[in-house]
Amino acid sequence: MDLRVLMLIFGSGQQFRRVKAIKNTLRGRRTVSNLYWALEYGLLDFVDVLHGTDFGEDQLVLTQLVSSGLARADDTFRIQLTAKGIDQQQRYLNQLLPLKYLAVSSRYDVAKFMRRFSFASQIVSEFSYGNNQYYPQSINYFEDQLLKRWFVMNKHQDLPRHFQQLLRDFLGDLQPADLADVFVQSLVGHNFSGLTAEQVAVKRRTSTTVVALQWLQLYGMLLEKLMQAGKTSLFSPLVSGLAKSTVSSSAQATFKLFLQQKNHNLQAIATQRKIKLTTVYEHLLEVAIMSKTAAFPYRALISDDLMNQLLAHQPQNVGEWTFQDASQVIGQLAFFQFRLFQIYRSKMSDDDGSQA
Amino acid sequence: MTMDLKRELKKYFGFDDFRPGQEDILKNLLANRNTLAILPTGGGKTLLYQMYGAMTHQRVIIVSPLISLMQDQVSRLQYLGSKRVVALTSALDFQEKTAILTHLNRYQFIYVSPEMLANQQVQQRLMQLQIGLFVVDEAHCISEWGPDFRPDYLKLGTVRERLGSPLTLMMTATATQPVRRNIIAHMNFSPGDIHQIVLPVNRANIFLSAKIFANQHEKDDALIELVKQLNGPGIIYFSSKSKAEQTANTLTNETDRRVMAYHGGMDSQPRFHIQQQFLAGNLDIICATSAFGMGIDKNNVRFVIHYHLPANIQSYVQEIGRCGRDRKPGLAILMYEPNDRALQMGLIDHTVPDESLLDYLYAHPKMLSTDDQFRVVKFYHDNGDSLEQAKTIFNHARTRRVKELGAMVQYVYTEKCRRDELLKYFDEAVPDGERNPSYCCDHDVDFWDRWRDFSRQYLNQPAQSSQNEAKSWQQVIDQLFLSKN
Ligand SMILES: [Zn+2]
Repeated sequence: MDLRVLMLIFGSGQQFRRVKAIKNTLRGRRTVSNLYWALEYGLLDFVDVLHGTDFGEDQLVLTQLVSSGLARADDTFRIQLTAKGIDQQQRYLNQLLPLKYLAVSSRYDVAKFMRRFSFASQIVSEFSYGNNQYYPQSINYFEDQLLKRWFVMNKHQDLPRHFQQLLRDFLGDLQPADLADVFVQSLVGHNFSGLTAEQVAVKRRTSTTVVALQWLQLYGMLLEKLMQAGKTSLFSPLVSGLAKSTVSSSAQATFKLFLQQKNHNLQAIATQRKIKLTTVYEHLLEVAIMSKTAAFPYRALISDDLMNQLLAHQPQNVGEWTFQDASQVIGQLAFFQFRLFQIYRSKMSDDDGSQA
Repeated sequence: MTMDLKRELKKYFGFDDFRPGQEDILKNLLANRNTLAILPTGGGKTLLYQMYGAMTHQRVIIVSPLISLMQDQVSRLQYLGSKRVVALTSALDFQEKTAILTHLNRYQFIYVSPEMLANQQVQQRLMQLQIGLFVVDEAHCISEWGPDFRPDYLKLGTVRERLGSPLTLMMTATATQPVRRNIIAHMNFSPGDIHQIVLPVNRANIFLSAKIFANQHEKDDALIELVKQLNGPGIIYFSSKSKAEQTANTLTNETDRRVMAYHGGMDSQPRFHIQQQFLAGNLDIICATSAFGMGIDKNNVRFVIHYHLPANIQSYVQEIGRCGRDRKPGLAILMYEPNDRALQMGLIDHTVPDESLLDYLYAHPKMLSTDDQFRVVKFYHDNGDSLEQAKTIFNHARTRRVKELGAMVQYVYTEKCRRDELLKYFDEAVPDGERNPSYCCDHDVDFWDRWRDFSRQYLNQPAQSSQNEAKSWQQVIDQLFLSKN
């Protein structure tokens, strides 16, 4: 994927944003630092949406964006979109569905669903012509087993008609309507070879990355539609086992122990889990970032006294407050509590914003 | 007997006739004779063991070194009607491998890579199964040092014995006499145990040509002209992915042909789209990397152009064999400029470690496990070969590859009949009475001034496929899913 396009889509005209943090958010590097910036940029819904994707070189992308007048950069590898960049951003967004359909990929393995659905379509398509001499798509062993079981169970249910009906309903409602043409090119079936993202992009005079995002969004939307249809739908097995966890399992385990504790002894958790104390901090910060404000016990980790001091000294932009500056005005400040406070404030202002 | 086999062929595959050699080989196998078959590319190697499996209802194990192609092989077998097919390769993750091994008895056709076959757990599991036929595909890799060389191939003889010495079929597209002897010896057979069926390498329907250019620029210009005017679907081979992609772009811009790159570095889904488009006739030309084959059998490829020099004559013969599988005229063009030899020499340096690297690796054996390109050195090291022995082995390999490259270059520069030059390498000659100077090579006729006429006269341009015509999404859906009402 072209990181330039992604930077324009996920960049901002108001805020300087770190190129690396946006890239790592999209490809799902769950370090506390990345997640923290994702929170600050309002991009938590997009963690891991482009899992396993290759991107261009950060530095090169930054230079290109600046030299083409689309963004300005500061000396810490952060960019802010110019008016020209905002124009370009709008042009990209006009070609996409609302970004919430990309966010589906953060919670579900949409890429896997896409391969599954495409293969199922091929099987049903050839079946509808009574043809069993064709080159099947290749897919991993477990997916292959799932599709075989599904097909054997349902082949007498007039699958071709169900596929036709499903796709007519789904594609007929799309806005922008021409995305329906983009969608069908991802399929392969009887006497139909479809197109690669690159070929669709050439036809539509857009970038391959835009087409790849369109496909992810469309399949994300289709996945949600099929999940709403419930367990009895004959498509149900095709949407099973795709959920992703938004918090790593090790962070979940740490947090569970923390909730069970009465005295909140983090060192004891470290000992019990055979991890470092700093790792316990990181796990708790990860859970804090990824949870609703009310679901995380901030007050148990920041004393009232410290909370008051932090509130008294916080600058206008808490997100960019540095630990160094904060510890000069507040003695004995620990980084863990400082970062937790920043998360808390950031979440609170988001909550206010969403209520307004 | 003959009639019976043909009836079976019709029954299982719907074909009326065997390709040359197929019937003989099947008869040998059905008579329980271990067989070494030298069948040209496109000679229908897959059909042999598939049909044997179908007729005898027995299990078939196929060892193949081409891991990147194994999934395609599985697809091809499924395409031809066998559904109980699986591939055991290092590309599987642990859970997949465990699940497949547990249910291995459900499969009739089991592809396995040499590395996997060397694995004790895999061997144990296979020993519990009844094996009807043991197939060694690309058997020349036992003896040759190509990029596909797998040291584990050298253990195949022992593995075969551990599996209870099942009936064995060894197959390759090209093998010289010494290579054939080598294969038989490595499989722990004595020459008398083996029935050899050797088909001629010569493909009379493929016209042979080559041209020497002063530099790459001249070559690029000539390629554009050829692509503009040569009839029929074609394949252009490159030795690098980037050059294949770059040229596909140039040709798309400079000609009205529909061209795409196709190589092992691509994701499986776009690769599948392109393969299907080429098969259906929605693409005219594919720019492919030499090391990477196609997962499909396309019979009406009319020309194969080599933009880069192949490593040796065996590879060249295999690759040009992809045109004219329908036995109609095909054209092989090799484009050469003097730097191409250096490029191949560089590849040899890259694949065969030199003495200083061997010194280093033997002094730091931990390094051997860090990189797949050291796998061959690792094999000899773990085998107990001394540094000196390893040096001798690798120097020998290098000398041999340099010599093979020399023969390839000589083919380009030859002033004699190219077919003679090519066949000489396999101790073969054009049979008396089959020589046809008017359709043989660019030595016998003035091809390079008249290639446009050649194309018009011999190469068939297929009718444009209607499949790619712009269709609305509604039409696509109606086309995809045939409704009963
Ligand atoms: Zn000749």
